[in-house]
Amino acid sequence: MHKLSIVLLMLAAFAFAQNAPTQKQDKWEAPADAAAKKNPLQSKPELAAGGKKVFDRLCKVCHDSGSVQQKGPHLDSPDVQANSDGALFWKISSGNSRSGMPNFSSLPDGQRWQLVLYIRSLAHKQ
Amino acid sequence: MRRLLSLVLLLGTLPLAAQQNPYFVTYDHHMEELGNLEISSQSTVGFQKQNLGNYLGQLMELEYGVTGWWSSSLYLEGATARNDATVFTGFRLENRFKPLKGEHKINPVLYFEYENINEASRIRKEIVGHAETTSEKLSELRGETARELEAKLILSSNVKNWNIAENFIVEKNLTEDEGYEFGYALGVFRPLTTLATGGECRFCRENFAAGLELYGGLGSTEQFGFKETAHYLAPGIVWNVGNSAIKISPAFGLTSGSDRMLLKIGYTYEISGFGQKLAHMFGGR
Repeated sequence: MHKLSIVLLMLAAFAFAQNAPTQKQDKWEAPADAAAKKNPLQSKPELAAGGKKVFDRLCKVCHDSGSVQQKGPHLDSPDVQANSDGALFWKISSGNSRSGMPNFSSLPDGQRWQLVLYIRSLAHKQ
Repeated sequence: MRRLLSLVLLLGTLPLAAQQNPYFVTYDHHMEELGNLEISSQSTVGFQKQNLGNYLGQLMELEYGVTGWWSSSLYLEGATARNDATVFTGFRLENRFKPLKGEHKINPVLYFEYENINEASRIRKEIVGHAETTSEKLSELRGETARELEAKLILSSNVKNWNIAENFIVEKNLTEDEGYEFGYALGVFRPLTTLATGGECRFCRENFAAGLELYGGLGSTEQFGFKETAHYLAPGIVWNVGNSAIKISPAFGLTSGSDRMLLKIGYTYEISGFGQKLAHMFGGR
């Protein structure tokens, strides 16, 4: 029993040790390498339509001004648009469990980049 | 009455979303979203060996996202067997905690569950300890209640559109001294395609994900190992459509102690912002 407990504790410690936080705790900022990533779908703006569909399904409830439950920022706001494509992708992927922003890493990479395309298209509409 | 009616209307009008994985036994690191309520129903049909009768286990789950890092669930379960009885087999209270913020190479989640179930339970929500085959009737087994504590260490990673999850399970029966029982569950899954089409569609590949699970018991502190344990290999598929998800997984028994097959079928309905709307209805903000 002691050996098993030690193995389980070691597994837990291993997981924790491997996962030193990669983000600042005080401000929600993407690490530099993540922020520097380019959108691989940049040259295919027509894919933003798929991003809009994903947005309507998963994001609109918190980020749409018409929603009674709006708790996230408007995605066409200057604060959001000031993020690089890589930073937006990282924030969608990582989420922020302390603020209630879910992590959408379960979405395929392609759909997360489509979301970034769609968010960028909101700025152009202004 | 007016509040009840408002609640019914609320369920029908909220914006809804569902993004489920095809796992039945394995947990990954994705928590219930803050304030969301997920209502799930899960059935397990067990096809036993040695001419033992088949059975049906039924589970109802209410899962709520308490915070972004804490999900809490209540389970109610029952079982049916032909020429026997349909019985309520107990309840479970489950809490999952995600201690680390953000996404990492390996994402740990801690899982704690209190079970108040009886020996007639047939849902096979997880497999722990040694294999048990019995020809006793459910109506007799329902009187043998067990209170158990269960803990899991969930490790999960997303790598190139694949999810890989490992669960290590330990369970302690508080009613009888059976030592600590152990089990595991491993799973991988991937969506069938990585891009979303622009138009609305129900049957397009982006709404489906497929995966494979391997789960089983690892004995107990009295006899640790694979001897006389049950193990299953289970391919599975999920169809996410709007606010709902339907999933199915046949699990094939790999050892003499396993049932021949378990057929698991699940349906999930997710209500976004349930907590916030409910609070608003009762005068909160």
